[in-house]
Amino acid sequence: MAIFVVKTQVGQEENVANLFEKASKRTGKIYAILAPKELRGYIFVEGENKETVKRIIRHMRYARDMLDKEVEIEEIEHFLFPPSAVANIEEGMIVELVSGPFKGEKAKVTRIDDAKEEITVELLDAMVPIPITVRGEQVRVLKKKEG
Amino acid sequence: MKACRKCHILTNRSTCPYCGESTSDNWQGYLIVIDPNNSKIAEKAGLKMPGKYALKVR
Repeated sequence: MAIFVVKTQVGQEENVANLFEKASKRTGKIYAILAPKELRGYIFVEGENKETVKRIIRHMRYARDMLDKEVEIEEIEHFLFPPSAVANIEEGMIVELVSGPFKGEKAKVTRIDDAKEEITVELLDAMVPIPITVRGEQVRVLKKKEG
Repeated sequence: MKACRKCHILTNRSTCPYCGESTSDNWQGYLIVIDPNNSKIAEKAGLKMPGKYALKVR
């Protein structure tokens, strides 16, 4: 058994994974399919051998091609355990909001919710400090700690 | 589909049919385990049951 990289149409990664699952019922020899969120246009297919995977994608919609080289489980295991979006954020840090209505604004982190992966910030330029709660992905750390 | 907050399996129900935990619409990453006995990916992820899983659930 080996893990192969299959190229897909961007945005169709989950569809291709589902099509592989369907094909596996017919052909067997496919053991798992991994479509990490971070990887656009590629999925990992674990199967018996290269020929099996190649044969399946030949007639598959949204699948483009596959890479010749196999990948080792160690190379992709980090995709199985995505880090928390607030892992590198601490209270007191200065961050920049990178999306949403306050995009471009600088803010100070006042609270972190690990379970929801959300942070509460106060905008630095606001006349009155109003707490705003945003998702961890919506900020970029500018300064470790104020002062 | 929704993902179980505990075991990460994907389901259409509001509670997980396997562990009874609540499910969430907010999930990312997609893993289909077909044959856990032969899969290195399933072994690494600690999954012993075939099914569709989310990699991250909030």
